Amino acid sequence: MSRLIPEEEYGKRPIGALRQWMSGVRDPYLNNVEAKEKTGQGEESEEQLEEYQREVLSVIRKAQDTANNSQYTLFRKFYRSAALICCLTLTLMLLITVAYLPPVGNAGNPAHNEVAAKYIKDGMQDTGAVNIVTGMILDYRAFDTFGESNVLFIATCTVLILMRNDKKKGRGSAEEEERRDSFYEPKSDKILQTSAMILVPFIILFGIYVILNGHLSPGGGFSGGAIIGAGLILYLNAFGIEKTEKFFTAKTYKWISFCSLSFYCIAKSYSFYTGAHHLESGIPLGIPGNILSSGLILPLNICVGLVVACTMYAFFVLFRKGGF
Amino acid sequence: MIFERIRFILGVGLLAIGVVTFALEVLGVFRFKYVLNRMHAAAMGDTLGIGSSLAGLMILFGFQFVTLKLVLVVIFLWCASPVSSHLISRLECTVNEDLKKYCEVKSK
Repeated sequence: MSRLIPEEEYGKRPIGALRQWMSGVRDPYLNNVEAKEKTGQGEESEEQLEEYQREVLSVIRKAQDTANNSQYTLFRKFYRSAALICCLTLTLMLLITVAYLPPVGNAGNPAHNEVAAKYIKDGMQDTGAVNIVTGMILDYRAFDTFGESNVLFIATCTVLILMRNDKKKGRGSAEEEERRDSFYEPKSDKILQTSAMILVPFIILFGIYVILNGHLSPGGGFSGGAIIGAGLILYLNAFGIEKTEKFFTAKTYKWISFCSLSFYCIAKSYSFYTGAHHLESGIPLGIPGNILSSGLILPLNICVGLVVACTMYAFFVLFRKGGF
Repeated sequence: MIFERIRFILGVGLLAIGVVTFALEVLGVFRFKYVLNRMHAAAMGDTLGIGSSLAGLMILFGFQFVTLKLVLVVIFLWCASPVSSHLISRLECTVNEDLKKYCEVKSK
């Protein structure tokens, strides 16, 4: 590219600066926004340090002297009266709104429309699930549940970005941070280990039961997955990360989430496609009430449960150690 | 008839013991100053209060499938609550430097 003006002058103009920033030549934030590490520490004499300390102490004393601070008293008065006014206004608004609500249990209420009536009437026949709620969230409105599962996955990704600690060795590494964080925590506590040994299998079994019975009884992927995640966290707390690392690493998390979410997406896309075009989907609904019934709901429940359990465990590990 | 009445009185009595324990627990949690004392009050509610009120409910309900679920709830809480209290107290004993001010410490 030929330019009439030299490179340095071009960089000073806004368009040139933008172009340089886009191509990564210049970072406008570098040395401008981020705090720099102080260099030349320890060069101050003791007098300077003492004066600095006295200054800090006087500032703290001035800040904590709330009785004589007229600005603070004024602010507190304002704060209290504003809080009172806000609370009263909100209460009044809500009470007025409540007065205009339709009476509870009235047959003419907007909630009693044909959608709810259809779900209750045809729900079991359409979805094959005895539990109408599960039939709703995993069949009629499965797309919404897919979005929720993805939200969990995205939340884990965000926490991963914020908390991830890739350093393997030395100061600030993941192992050292974990050791420092859990320095006072009781380690290898006999009572906790014994009770965890007894409880964890039952907790995880109960979670699996809740997931597998999602279409028959209250429960399903979200609650069952949360129970399994809690069992895993209890196991981790009792026996340390070395034991759980043997069967659950970042790779396991990645593959389980990826497989569950993509299976959910593909299966539900197929069923929506066939449903929208009035085609035969070929998925047997089975007899309502059997464990192997209601078509896609059981596998989808398992997928959601796996994603939720992994997300809970991953959150805990990330906050604890900053990595798997 | 008389059996029914005895059962009712027993169930209500156990339930009342549970409610009184919960009231004491709330009072203790808010009035005690030191952590271990507060925790003692809280743990008392989680074990004795839950146990006696659920036992009262079991007697009032009679023997059903629900009774088994209540028994499982009691067993689970009696496993979980003391262990968590133990962990908190152990952390407090490890961290607090002036533990001797509050309670007598036996040296090993």
